[in-house]
Amino acid sequence: MRQVKICSAAPRLSRVANLSMVRFMFSSNAHAEPTRFTHPFGASWFMVRSFPLRNAGKILHVIDAVDITAMKNAEFEVRESEQRLEEATRIAQLGTFKLQWDTGTMQWSPHVYTILGLAPDAYVYSLGRYRAMVHPDDRESYDRLHEDLLDGKGIRGAEHRIIRPDGNVRWLRVEGRVLFDADGIPYASFGTYQDITEAKQREQELKSLLRRNTLLYEALDASPIGVAVVTTEYGRPEIFYVNAEFERLTHHNTSSLSEGGMAALQPEGDAGRGWDRILQTLAVSRGGAFEVSCDQRGAAPFLAQIEIAPVSDHPGQETNIFVLNLRDVTSDRQRAEALLQSQKLEALGQLSGGVAHEINNLLQPMLALSDLGQDIADTDPAKVKKYFQVIASSGRKARDVVRQVLTFARRDAPQLASYAIAALVEDALALAHSGFPPGITLASSLSVEGVSAVVNPTQVSQVVLNLITNAADAMNGEGTITLRLDTVDLDAIAAGSLTLAAGTWVALTVSDHGCGMDSYTLSRIFEPFYTTKVAGKGTGLGLSVVYSIVAGWGGTLKVDSEVDKGTTAVVYIPAARE
Amino acid sequence: MAHILLVEDSPEVSMTVREILEAAGHTVDDAPSGADALKILKAGKFDLIVSDIWMPGMDGIALLKEIRGAGNDIPVVVISGGAPNAPLTYTAPLAATFGANAVVYKPFEKAELLQAVATVLS
Repeated sequence: MRQVKICSAAPRLSRVANLSMVRFMFSSNAHAEPTRFTHPFGASWFMVRSFPLRNAGKILHVIDAVDITAMKNAEFEVRESEQRLEEATRIAQLGTFKLQWDTGTMQWSPHVYTILGLAPDAYVYSLGRYRAMVHPDDRESYDRLHEDLLDGKGIRGAEHRIIRPDGNVRWLRVEGRVLFDADGIPYASFGTYQDITEAKQREQELKSLLRRNTLLYEALDASPIGVAVVTTEYGRPEIFYVNAEFERLTHHNTSSLSEGGMAALQPEGDAGRGWDRILQTLAVSRGGAFEVSCDQRGAAPFLAQIEIAPVSDHPGQETNIFVLNLRDVTSDRQRAEALLQSQKLEALGQLSGGVAHEINNLLQPMLALSDLGQDIADTDPAKVKKYFQVIASSGRKARDVVRQVLTFARRDAPQLASYAIAALVEDALALAHSGFPPGITLASSLSVEGVSAVVNPTQVSQVVLNLITNAADAMNGEGTITLRLDTVDLDAIAAGSLTLAAGTWVALTVSDHGCGMDSYTLSRIFEPFYTTKVAGKGTGLGLSVVYSIVAGWGGTLKVDSEVDKGTTAVVYIPAARE
Repeated sequence: MAHILLVEDSPEVSMTVREILEAAGHTVDDAPSGADALKILKAGKFDLIVSDIWMPGMDGIALLKEIRGAGNDIPVVVISGGAPNAPLTYTAPLAATFGANAVVYKPFEKAELLQAVATVLS
């Protein structure tokens, strides 16, 4: 440190001296002040002192300056580094501690108080008081950490929980190292606390999310139903996940399907409309149920039931993600066909009384008039001619009855084609009419002139007969059954609630004012062999067969009922495209 | 010869039975249902009723109940072709229970009907 007298100062000092003098001129007391002095080479700090001397009423200022630049720079560096550290620890949510070994006291930076939920406090916390805040379950590991510090080991990333005075539990991460004095003797530990509660929570959430995810994948793989997730985000439907059952059924896996897309599932040369309908359904962001022939890589295709449901946060919202359920229904279909056949025979049995009545009535004129005619052949040829007319018309009517019965009973694979639906329903009604109890009247309105539907004629009779028989039974043989055939335009929402595609459908509605059904019965009506009829009156196959038939057409059956008010069954039949 | 009321809903059967009965010398009035038959019965005097069982509206059994319920013991021959849920063989006991005097099953020969009519009238 050099002392420079102002009178002999180098020119570069004159400015600081002048400045100081100007200020000190007005002071009558001794004064000292660090003063910054800038010059072309940088800046220097001087401690400028002034001593006022009084001489004959005049004040003489003696000024000297001591160069304190090195000291000031060191002081700035320390302050700056402290500020940097404070800022860094604030940003990192770090608190620092210093543990004095000889006294066992802790010194904490202000942020530690925040972490621990304590009011910033001047007094020094002791080790024991800190330990009391440590979560009981973590005290053992905390003690080990403490021992490690005392053994002169550093700590890297030890974690424990503390309980704040308000009961809030926080996770802390501790880093620490030992401080040694000049002689190499450890005298203190220094380190940081970091509040990692949020990170811990995120870690826990992530872990449970992963566990859930794994569980979901395992559950999906354990499912007896094939499940695929399909996206239409890039235009054509792509499959980006399939579960184990889906792989087993199709012999395809996610990668072979993500390459080939949905087309990989359609057997080569498959001419069925099912896949077209699936693609249409996906294109309009709807769900539905379909029966299609599905490819099985390296083996024969199988009959698959595919159900599609859009995956969206809000019902009715457009989406491009779908979940697709796949079942092999080959054997179900065989069983259903057997069931359909047996139900047909059952229905035929119920019809047979009516059919016999009809045939007997038609045989009556044929038998008796031909006999009577012989008696009067020579005497009354005009009357004989009239007899012949009645005999012939009775014969033709009998032929029609037999034809209707045969059509109904024919055992054939249900081929679907486009038919004028009103004519088929009329035929079915003609057949049903012979079996109507006398108290039942039928009001029918078939206002679908010229509308075609994709159905099987035998199955239409079966559906109509089943619904009418149920209605008649519900009314105890007394009352009016209303049968309507209409076309309906279903918008997206209405269609969605019926799991149908939006568009035009033919609706066959059969209503009665009979005993109705409670919600429990209503929930079981599609179960085969479920019946509320007394023994001998029904096998309980009717509605399950109707449902199965209608589902085979790609339509659906909806039944509404109220006890003592009546029942309305609506069959939605796919209208043929023009 | 008898005055007969024929109750039958099928026009062909009604015409046939009328021909059989008239050829045998009876006079025949006909009704297409039980309800019509009751009206005609009130208006005229008949020796015999020939009635179908299975008819829309009031059927043969209901007609029998009405007639016998009113204390009328006019002879009744039932002609039956069976009914849904009621096989032909059940018809005779059913008709007998409600007071029919004879049952003839469709399709019958003219002699069968005339025999039953003669038996019931004698």
